[in-house]
Amino acid sequence: MISALLALGLAAGAPFPLPPSPLPVQDTVKGKVVYEKWCAGCHGETGAGDGPAAAYMLPRPRNFTGAVYKIRTTASGQLPTDADLLRAIDEGLAGSAMPAWKGRLSDAERRDVLAYLKTFSSFFADTSQHVVALKFGGEPGGGTSAEALKVGRQFYDSIGCRKCHGDQGRGDGPSAPTLKDDAGFPIFAADLHQSWRFRGGATAADIYRRLRTGLDGTPMPSFSDLIDQKFLTDEQLWRLAQYVRSLSPARTPEVRDVIHAPRLAAALPAAPGDSVWDRVDRYWLPLVGQVIRKPRWFGPAVSGVWVQAVHDGKSVALRVSWDDRTRSPDTTWLGFERRVLETVAGDDSGGGRTAGPFPDQLAVQFPRRIPEGMERPYFLMGTETDAVYQWRWTSAGGSGAAGGAVGGLARGLERFDTLPGGPAAQTSYEHGEWRVMFTRSLATPDTANELQFAAGRAIPVAFFAWDGSSGEHGNRLAVSTWYFLALDQPTPPRVFVTPVVVMLLTLGLGIVVVRRVQRRQA
Amino acid sequence: MRRAMLAVVCGVFVMASARERRAEPQGGATIAGKIKFTGAKPANPKIDMSEEPKCKAKYQAPPTEETVVVNPNGTLANVFVYVKSGLPESYKAPAPAGGVTLDQDGCRYHPHVLGILVGQPLEIKNSDGILHNIKAKGTKNRPFNISQPTTMTSTRTFTAPEVMVPLECNVHGWMHAWLGVLPHSFYGVSGADGSFSIKGLPPGTYTIEAWQEKYGTQTASVTVAGSETKTQDFTVAGK
Amino acid sequence: MNWRRYADHPFWQAAALLVAAYVVIVYVVPLFPGSALVPKSVVLQYMATVLVGVLIYVSDNEERWIRFREPIHAALVEPRLRPVRAGLLVAVPALVGLVAYGQVRTTVAAPPNLRSIHPAPPSEITFRGKTITLTGLDNPLRQHPESSAAYAADGKRIYYQNCLPCHGDHLDGQGHYAPGFNPIPANFQDNGTIAQLTESFVFWRVAKGGPGLPREGTPWNSAMPRWEDFLTEREIWSVILFLYDQTGWKPRTWETAGEAGKRKGDD
Repeated sequence: MISALLALGLAAGAPFPLPPSPLPVQDTVKGKVVYEKWCAGCHGETGAGDGPAAAYMLPRPRNFTGAVYKIRTTASGQLPTDADLLRAIDEGLAGSAMPAWKGRLSDAERRDVLAYLKTFSSFFADTSQHVVALKFGGEPGGGTSAEALKVGRQFYDSIGCRKCHGDQGRGDGPSAPTLKDDAGFPIFAADLHQSWRFRGGATAADIYRRLRTGLDGTPMPSFSDLIDQKFLTDEQLWRLAQYVRSLSPARTPEVRDVIHAPRLAAALPAAPGDSVWDRVDRYWLPLVGQVIRKPRWFGPAVSGVWVQAVHDGKSVALRVSWDDRTRSPDTTWLGFERRVLETVAGDDSGGGRTAGPFPDQLAVQFPRRIPEGMERPYFLMGTETDAVYQWRWTSAGGSGAAGGAVGGLARGLERFDTLPGGPAAQTSYEHGEWRVMFTRSLATPDTANELQFAAGRAIPVAFFAWDGSSGEHGNRLAVSTWYFLALDQPTPPRVFVTPVVVMLLTLGLGIVVVRRVQRRQA
Repeated sequence: MRRAMLAVVCGVFVMASARERRAEPQGGATIAGKIKFTGAKPANPKIDMSEEPKCKAKYQAPPTEETVVVNPNGTLANVFVYVKSGLPESYKAPAPAGGVTLDQDGCRYHPHVLGILVGQPLEIKNSDGILHNIKAKGTKNRPFNISQPTTMTSTRTFTAPEVMVPLECNVHGWMHAWLGVLPHSFYGVSGADGSFSIKGLPPGTYTIEAWQEKYGTQTASVTVAGSETKTQDFTVAGK
Repeated sequence: MNWRRYADHPFWQAAALLVAAYVVIVYVVPLFPGSALVPKSVVLQYMATVLVGVLIYVSDNEERWIRFREPIHAALVEPRLRPVRAGLLVAVPALVGLVAYGQVRTTVAAPPNLRSIHPAPPSEITFRGKTITLTGLDNPLRQHPESSAAYAADGKRIYYQNCLPCHGDHLDGQGHYAPGFNPIPANFQDNGTIAQLTESFVFWRVAKGGPGLPREGTPWNSAMPRWEDFLTEREIWSVILFLYDQTGWKPRTWETAGEAGKRKGDD
């Protein structure tokens, strides 16, 4: 009877947060069915986080048997509340393989599965465990003001965030290469410039909560003791959270198909750090693991690139920026790299891989000529018979004018033939960020192999990145599909003339209509 | 210097257990012994503290990790010896007398191996004044991870017996300590002379276990009566 | 009451309907789960459809049509509505001018992606040197119904180790790699994919992947691997069995094409 009432309540969408009391037993029976159908593939039949897909993921799926959860509202060491667990199920965990199940499973199914996954650990049945959400105060205002951010930055330095997250927050701190989670898997210090990938949410309030509770099972500790012992005020911790939030764009970057390159009247930027770039729109293009050709790679390190382009009618300049914790080749990360290669399964795992001081690499890909129809070469580096034109940059390259960049033809992933006279490239690496600026004249003598840029056309372009210190090398890389680069044309006069003509015609027509109707009326 | 400190800490332990013995009239027998070490002495990895000048300044020679500490007399320090089973059902642990301190000094834990009673406070002290985090990775106890970016002390307790709870700092990947959580105070840690003693035991036959972080565990069965002292040595072979 | 006079009037009803339709199309539709922003050109089409519908309705009845025209007529002739008339004469041309500017402004858009989602399959393929005739072919594993649970379990493991990053935990094409690809991975939960296809078609798509697509399937964009390089014939059939088993769809059969698009238990 009670359970029937409760089921009714659930079906009607009982308000959150749920009470921490355990759900009725019969729910775990239904939960088991849902769990085995939809969850066990990653989390395993016994909840140990060892389903068939687990080895193809980094971070690995949660092991429920220890009841250790990263995203909680409770103190470090405490169990999560039901609402905490339900949040992870409902909204998923950004930046990981965990999807949002709200809308995919019914309300009742999600709650049943919650009840079931708690049965994997005896801690949830232990009534002596306290499950009390911490009391979080409201966010103090003015969180984006320079003053607030300065306070936040001050505490970022004084409480040692940079030890793991690095000076500018890209996860490149001195302790970062040693980090492991409780299961011994390698774990990255979060890149604080990509808040949309934070597991527990992107707002300053989410970040504040993570600072208070820590991420149990990971090296990220709780800072609550500091507040309890008055080493830090609550407001100061909020300022820190607001500072961390300020490192990422205000909104999740939208992926746009066409990269517009404005035409500059002045000279093209001279370096990757040129202030011209600050005034040019930047485009976020996500990259994912190369899982198409053997050996596949399920642990891509570069989650995307920021691309900007400008031209002056003679030459085009393209700047690609991306976050990379390491300036590879870097031997201090060799141990970490080895652990990554051991952790991520693939066609060549189990002895087929060796860690090495690999360089970081980037490839920018174009077709050899601008396609007339919709047909273009195969996005994954062309084919044996239909080559693509690429600019390739490597961090191990010489420091000459080309900065380690060459142009050439790729015929599939395995073959790249260098062409003479590649693009000019300049590079900078600062605090976990690579910036590579390519410059090339729009037209070149080798019209058969090298793309001839033209303004006002949609030029297919794709990007590929390797992080050497994550073991990326050869077919182990992050890829994109085709996007487009459009070099803006100077605005032709008809753009301004046509609307004026159309407006005059409409006005004239309107006056004629009004006159005629009025005359008829009269 | 460090050994002296360890000896002092061990001394404190002995005194603490002596105090408890007075509060606990259930027995007066002692099991004592040495941990002998044979074979090649493994080299502990050197610690590069160049990122932490404050810690580095506390050492004259480059510090090493403490995975296997072989004493000059050929014995092993930092071996946790405890009564694993054999206590009568009726045995009730004494109330803990005060807390146990774990100090973070010179970017190392002091002591490296320690025991604690269920419910007894563990006082985690940061004497370095630089960022440490202290992470307890128990499986029978809830794991926790506290940030200590300044000179401060945090206190935690443990709810279930567990040998051992690994403690670590993730800022300094070389920092490890081991905590034996027990429902009784019949344990000892081998010191700078390789000896341990477990005092105040009621008469009976006990399984005692010696635990070393690299070489694992060994057990022995010991029967004691009255207020006698029995010797039980262990021999660890180096690999 | 004044507002009632407006509410009953066909002209203002029509105006309110158009505004409501606009709000629904632009702001409400994207809120539905699985929906995206409606592209501007499509909004224009929808609005035109709504407008035609409204005009048909108001002109359907003679009296309504006359009443509908009243305010328009008034705006054109009434001396007291002179400011409204002037305002319209300015606003309408300005709006038209703005639209014209939007049309002639030179922006380069991505070329239209005219992609055939289910191109015609070949009648036979060569799978690792073996010729397989697709026409009339059903999943051979279905000849052993007693082992189908084991095959589906096999298929599940293979799916999770290979297909999951793109096609997702829910088989809806929203795996964690899906945002990196265009076209996005196929959504098997949708009634327009495996529900409409024979298992032999699915076998062809899995075995030959993106590179095996005909030109109208835009093979240069597809990130679908050629699974014959990774999986055996039987492994592919197991995965296909799992896809139908997990989503509850029934494959289209060669004999009864009308069965397609039904979930188990629909009938």
